Amino acid sequence: MTDLEALFRTAGVTGFLHAVDVDTGAEIAHRADDPVVTASVFKVALLVEFFRQIDRGRLDATERVTVMADRHTAGPTGVSVMADDVTISLRDLAYLMMAVSDNTAADTLIGRVGLPEINAMLASFGLAGTWVEHDCRDMFSSIVEDVGQEEMPTDPALIARLRVLDPARTNRSTPREMTRLLGMIWRDEAASPASCAAMRRLLGLQVWPHRLAAGFPYDDVAVSGKTGTLPTVRNEVGVVEYPDGGRYAVAVFTRSYGTAQNQPRADAVIGTAARAAVERLRD
Amino acid sequence: MDLVRHLRYFTVVAEELHFGNAAIRLGMAQPPLSQRIRRLEEELGVRLFDRSSRQVRLTEPGRLLLDEAREIIARVDRLRDLAGRGESEVLRVGVPPDLGSSVIAALIAGFRERSPEVRPAPAEMWSADQVLALLDGTLDVGVVRHPVTAPGLSFGPVLVQRPGVVLAEDDPLAGLSSVHLADLAGRRLVLFPREPGLHEETLAECRRQGFVPEEVHEAQTLGLVLAGTAVAFGPQVALPGLRWRPLLGSPLAWRISTAWRGQAGEAAVAFGAVAVRVLKENAGMTDDGAAPERRVRTRPASGFLA
Repeated sequence: MTDLEALFRTAGVTGFLHAVDVDTGAEIAHRADDPVVTASVFKVALLVEFFRQIDRGRLDATERVTVMADRHTAGPTGVSVMADDVTISLRDLAYLMMAVSDNTAADTLIGRVGLPEINAMLASFGLAGTWVEHDCRDMFSSIVEDVGQEEMPTDPALIARLRVLDPARTNRSTPREMTRLLGMIWRDEAASPASCAAMRRLLGLQVWPHRLAAGFPYDDVAVSGKTGTLPTVRNEVGVVEYPDGGRYAVAVFTRSYGTAQNQPRADAVIGTAARAAVERLRD
Repeated sequence: MDLVRHLRYFTVVAEELHFGNAAIRLGMAQPPLSQRIRRLEEELGVRLFDRSSRQVRLTEPGRLLLDEAREIIARVDRLRDLAGRGESEVLRVGVPPDLGSSVIAALIAGFRERSPEVRPAPAEMWSADQVLALLDGTLDVGVVRHPVTAPGLSFGPVLVQRPGVVLAEDDPLAGLSSVHLADLAGRRLVLFPREPGLHEETLAECRRQGFVPEEVHEAQTLGLVLAGTAVAFGPQVALPGLRWRPLLGSPLAWRISTAWRGQAGEAAVAFGAVAVRVLKENAGMTDDGAAPERRVRTRPASGFLA
């Protein structure tokens, strides 16, 4: 059993990890080519295509849209929980989508960017294992259809029915493909250098401290990332930048044995496993 | 010496592998129990238990004699049963062994008071065994844990027991006033044997709350808990080396009721009434439905697509 396997098991999860040095390509892989449920991690792909369309002049980042309060997508943060209509620029919606994983912001952007366009971009990058099947609203409807309730289920029998937990039937990727996409953003290859810089800034504004960032508790280490959460699914992909210039793209996807919503050990192992992998890359 | 009685002591100590626990089950103090086991060893000329380590263990001769001892006790019991028949009606009653000797004693005493003309013949049996015995007619009435799936059985009013957790006294969680199921993550769990429905429900609730036991042991006693290798669920216990703590939010609801096959006889009905009273008064059980609904308090960081 590898030390990563032991870390994941102790936290009560199955883990899938890929870590790569953004500049040298040195890598650590643990089930890195298995298809995984992205949950909200797919928002990184949406972000990339959003900025590429801005680069091409197809979208205006500063265009203001009004999101009606009665047309929200379900979600625990951002515009999704606001009481009133919101008028906001497209790029600030992108900020809310990355900072707090706002589902309404993401779906509003998908309305402008288009799911086929996101998948075409992924294909053109050679990311054949990454696919955006549906937006947040459709994912939510699929859950409600499967379990007959709007609350996220914790009953193991209900969770076993969820189609959104089957990578073949929902937004999916692999750890290796997600670090590839992140590496392209950090090397200015995913879009124009200005757009890549804007994406790096937004990924660095994510507020959650409990997963990837928890593994690197240092003032002089930067952690940028995007989480993904569904019943039994806890993910985060991101880039860790060390004070000596080393930068590492890390993707950690987990599935927990337990079905409780709050599992701090499962959140924390994303950080500790990422840390262990980065330490090995720096050896 | 009364050999049969000494053999009874021997089988109980062999089941508990703990003189203190065995003494409690037998309703006696520990020193006289140890003394009687020593006398039995002298009588038989073998050592039955190895007490050299911290744990009590059966010796090889002890293991060989245990089955024989049980056989002798069963035969003596049957002899007394047969002799007693004809004198008075007998009600064969099954009770789960974990109820504890004081509750079982109260059940029998309460029934004797209410139906002095009927002699109760209690047997400690787990639910799965009681169901089999009820169906084949070797038991008149049982006290079983739910869920039970057995066509042809009828049940009395269902009572609810809210177990807490039993920990080794040096477990860090023993320092808390109450323990959440999620706090138990990474630990092993001891569950009663022969309680399949209860197992399934208990493990599902543990999983729902983030506790997936590394291993589940089926055991009748708390030896593994005492050794610090596992935790157990159950009613409050006060035993040296162990700590009992309530479970935060009372997530586990163990349901229990009387059960019988077909039409309940007068004696079985009387026993059912006594059982409900005693389980409420002596075992802290409550009427079904008193259990509060569990609510998931969602947090943004773990919500839908966070």
